[in-house]
Amino acid sequence: MLSLSGTGIGRGIAIGRAIVLDQGHNDIPCYRISATALSGEIERFNHAVDAVRADLKRVQRNLPTDAPPETSAFIDVHLLMLDDPVISQQPVQTIQEQQQNAEWALKSHADTLIDFFEDIADPYLRSKKNDVAQVVGRIMGELAHSQGKQPSDLATLGSSLAEQIIVARDLTPADTIMLRGRNMAAFVTSLGGPISHTAILARSLGLPAIVGLHDVIDTIHNNDLLIVDAATGTVLVAPDEPLLAQFRELQQQHLRHQQRLTLLKSEKAVTQDGEAITLLANIELPEDIEGLRSAGAAGVGLYRTEFLFMNRPKPPSEDEQYQAYCHVLRRVEGPVTIRTLDLGADKQVDGGRPDRETTATSALGLRAIRLCLSEPSLFKPQLRAILRAAVHGDAQIMIPMLSSLRELEQSLALVGEVCAELEREAVAFNPKVPLGGMIEVPAAAVSADLFARKLDFLSIGTNDLIQYTLAIDRVDDSVNYLYDPLHPSVLRLIRTVIRAGHEADIPVSMCGEMAGDPAFTRLLLGLGLRHFSMEPSQLLEIRQQVRQSTLAGLPRQVTDILNCVETGSLYDLVDQLNQTDSD
Amino acid sequence: MKLQRELQIVNRLGLHARACAKLVKTANQFESDIVLRQNEHQADAKSIMGLMMLAATQGTRLTLITSGADAEDAMTQVQHLINNRFEEDE
Repeated sequence: MLSLSGTGIGRGIAIGRAIVLDQGHNDIPCYRISATALSGEIERFNHAVDAVRADLKRVQRNLPTDAPPETSAFIDVHLLMLDDPVISQQPVQTIQEQQQNAEWALKSHADTLIDFFEDIADPYLRSKKNDVAQVVGRIMGELAHSQGKQPSDLATLGSSLAEQIIVARDLTPADTIMLRGRNMAAFVTSLGGPISHTAILARSLGLPAIVGLHDVIDTIHNNDLLIVDAATGTVLVAPDEPLLAQFRELQQQHLRHQQRLTLLKSEKAVTQDGEAITLLANIELPEDIEGLRSAGAAGVGLYRTEFLFMNRPKPPSEDEQYQAYCHVLRRVEGPVTIRTLDLGADKQVDGGRPDRETTATSALGLRAIRLCLSEPSLFKPQLRAILRAAVHGDAQIMIPMLSSLRELEQSLALVGEVCAELEREAVAFNPKVPLGGMIEVPAAAVSADLFARKLDFLSIGTNDLIQYTLAIDRVDDSVNYLYDPLHPSVLRLIRTVIRAGHEADIPVSMCGEMAGDPAFTRLLLGLGLRHFSMEPSQLLEIRQQVRQSTLAGLPRQVTDILNCVETGSLYDLVDQLNQTDSD
Repeated sequence: MKLQRELQIVNRLGLHARACAKLVKTANQFESDIVLRQNEHQADAKSIMGLMMLAATQGTRLTLITSGADAEDAMTQVQHLINNRFEEDE
């Protein structure tokens, strides 16, 4: 048995057989073709190209109506590349002249093309080598298939993939569209992070996935039995019977637990002693609204807008954004907190900054509100779109990564400017949209009272707050061990922000991972938090935790925890807090 | 007939994949040979790979050469598409 670990998406457990999508050029066969077999080999190559063309056209015809408008144009590009003599005719010449097999002939041309693209200085144009690789990969898949190899291309797989686990190098947007409705159990990919296409697809389908498992393509073979445990980010290959039984039991437990939790859907999030707590959802895609409804969220505490800007060469227009925000506002009951662009750092986006090298924006660099203020042409259309959409629902604007009052003043001035513009143009908009700030930089947390005076609400982003407070580079594995939500400094900053909100009489919510972790619910209640925003999948769990907690006494217990001077005992104390029986 | 004209790539993203796709589709409507030349490099405007490999960014100067029966129309249409930023906003 083999155990592999990567980044888990979602929480469930899946058990099934692997389907390895061969999208790459590993093990490209190389052999000579006899003179008499040449025409057959050329025919095999032409057939593969025809099959890929037919398949792409089929995908293009059957695009779901909610597919991004560019998808069809991208498929067009692949179709034209397929018809280009460099891809479809030159390999035929090579087969003919050098008596090489089709795969090898294609590979030699593809390698030359890809090398050429790698030398292009412009990063955006250089990235087009991926398109070449994808088109060539598809032809390779067809060629392998024609040789009686295992399924390699999605097009050749059956329509139902029940109890099967997709293993791939990476999933392209076209792949993810083809996978919808096929009922697979999980995804495992060697590339990709928490916001890759694979992760987005898995989240929207409610399936577990593990991404960033290097070399997984070479390690896992077709039909291998796999256990995927998203909570720990682990894939177990060919597990033995006892382990399998253990995970089947865990899977059942997870299902039973989920079923029990669904009973809580229409129950109120009220503590034992009668205090109502607001539970909100974090969303990014329109599909997420479904999850929010089925978990009974009171609204949206964080609507991430970056996804509108991804996988495209330029930012969406004001109107396109307006439509997207309206779509969400019309479908969600309760407030929808729209976070303005949080680009940069780990989210490198075509639509935002096509001409910057990826290394240029670190976690401490030009990102989020810094980027937006430096480029009003990026920021203003978003503000205009939100203010216009706010006519149709309960919208709030949330500004990420504020670190100085000057940034806040500049943002407020821009909002004022945009309002005046809309007024002049006689466009319908809502001038009274509440404006809040995300508190995730320690400087803003320490001075939260100053920010609170000028804002309508605060929201604590714990992921970045922890990273910045403890000076941890989250992309550096070797300092991961320092990442600690229970570090006293982190807890003190959270307390400071919540107090500042109370004193200014404005709501304070939390939208980081901590808000969705049931281990921290009581601690946060004790610190005075009353608004929690989390991934929709966590809502029922947190609701249960709220309903089993008693507020009275929590503040005092939590103060004791914060004053504790023995290192390492904080986790035990929080554990004790959670064990307290509140019946 | 053979025509030759100098022009400049004006859209912000340059000759990116979808712009190339539009160019190929336009070029394919004509019988004439249509070629874009940048210094010593030259690309057939009916080949998307060739165009992409020109790697022409915003500001790049190119020579457009059309030759054949409908060279004049081809010149007008291709030139219009490039000057019109491939119908992109910027």
